[in-house]
Amino acid sequence: MPDGGLDAALRTFTQERRYSAVAVARWLAMTPEDGEALLELARELRLGENQLRDLWDWAEDIASRDQLSVARVLALEPVRLARRARHVGRNDKLKLVKTALRRVRYPQLAAAEERLAALVRELDLPRTVRVRFPEFLEGDEVRVEIVADSAAALAAAADRVRAAAATDTCKAIFRLLEEAP
Amino acid sequence: MTPWMPSALWIERSEAESDLARRLRARLPAVPLRMVDDTAEAEPAGDFAEGKRRLVVKRHRGTFLQHCPAGTPGLVCCNYLVVSFAANCPFDCSYCFLQDNLANNTAIKAFSNVGDGLSEIDAVLRAHPDRTFRIGTGELADSLALDHLTDLSRELVPFFAERPNGLLELKTKSTGVDNLLDLDPKERTVVSWSLNATRIMATEEDGTASLEERLHAARRVQAAGYRVGFHFDPIIAHEGWEDGYRQVIERVFRRLDTRRVAWVSLGSLRMTPGLKAAIKARPNPSLVLTGELVPGPDGKERAWRGLRVKIYRRMLDWLQQIDARMPVYVCMEPPGVWSKVFGQTPSDREVAEQLVAQRPLACRVSTAR
Repeated sequence: MPDGGLDAALRTFTQERRYSAVAVARWLAMTPEDGEALLELARELRLGENQLRDLWDWAEDIASRDQLSVARVLALEPVRLARRARHVGRNDKLKLVKTALRRVRYPQLAAAEERLAALVRELDLPRTVRVRFPEFLEGDEVRVEIVADSAAALAAAADRVRAAAATDTCKAIFRLLEEAP
Repeated sequence: MTPWMPSALWIERSEAESDLARRLRARLPAVPLRMVDDTAEAEPAGDFAEGKRRLVVKRHRGTFLQHCPAGTPGLVCCNYLVVSFAANCPFDCSYCFLQDNLANNTAIKAFSNVGDGLSEIDAVLRAHPDRTFRIGTGELADSLALDHLTDLSRELVPFFAERPNGLLELKTKSTGVDNLLDLDPKERTVVSWSLNATRIMATEEDGTASLEERLHAARRVQAAGYRVGFHFDPIIAHEGWEDGYRQVIERVFRRLDTRRVAWVSLGSLRMTPGLKAAIKARPNPSLVLTGELVPGPDGKERAWRGLRVKIYRRMLDWLQQIDARMPVYVCMEPPGVWSKVFGQTPSDREVAEQLVAQRPLACRVSTAR
């Protein structure tokens, strides 16, 4: 981008998307390479300020941790693959990029979450039962939600939950929630 | 370590004849002195490092005694009180929350009206004779980093020695214990040191005493009749944390009389957005930002909970291997973390009472888990 071009492009984009003055100032303070890389991502996914915030923070955290530029972080292989995903809508692509970047930012936490998801699959619960964990695993309470349209359906789902609760897999879930591996 | 010396001394004109101002003028004859009506003049705008080189003597306006900020809803609290006879610290720890809290108020302050602060403490202790209060001076400042200049400890230790329901904690990363050695604390003063993993101390705590120096100072005050305390806070989950924290525990607690350890706290790094911005703005990259910090219910980022519990449990085990009765507690954590670490969730009052009595909170843990 030519000299001054980035600032103008950035101001236009942030104005259109109603970014706050604080966010614009933060963006303008980045190196041109980083600012441009972030703008490219924001344009690509048509991101508002709230949607960009986590991605931006994580990219900066990773950059600080790994001594990389933000531009390099946004071009890391898992992020690049997510950005290049084909045949997915904009919302799904955003989800993919977010997941990829989050995994780089929180490798142990992401591994624990993925392990938990695998253990829940092992429980083999019916689709009417949803198991949810606290955000960022900040807590050890599991929410189990049953959707039923009759007493019989509720009883059947509850029986499956009861059976699942007695398994070693279920114990492994709570162990993992309690302490990092 | 070399005791800290300011590059300039600023005295609020109305306090020029206070004991503290006279003492500092006498002890710092070569340090440039400015008398000012408004000490705001001493604040170098936006330069935290420069602020830390300036010493300001002023009157403290407002309340000296405050509740420790750990008294946040949803967290177990040990009912600790903080009293601020000074503000800001000459050391330069990368993770220090004062970079955020005192961002616009960076010069180091020593308050001249110490007597007013002592009167406040006295009033609280007299009003509640049935309760014992732990009161620390190390929240907004290092308790002993300026003591070679201010002699504050020589007022505080005798003051608390005469008050059966007050327990003073002097919390430091310095070796400034000389003033304490000929005083009789009568079990009413605990001198405590902040500790961290070897790598964190080496890279993130600029200007502070080394581990060996802190240990040497702790042994000296123990020999002089004080109980000592230790705070692993902020614990930073970095690569190699297990070796780093274990080595420090082994090096320190094997060489002290653990029966005379009043308490050991474990507290994970708490990161506010302002502190994070301050750390990022520092000239050198910090290990502090490498951890997997996630937002908690109080808006502060911490290492994620499963990792915090793992670290606390390991450290508790290592401490209890040395002395099973070590009084350990965790700082600014919700009841769920307490129960996972200690096998119990005491009430705020129980924590406070057990710490005052130097009873181990952790003694039931091994069997409870």
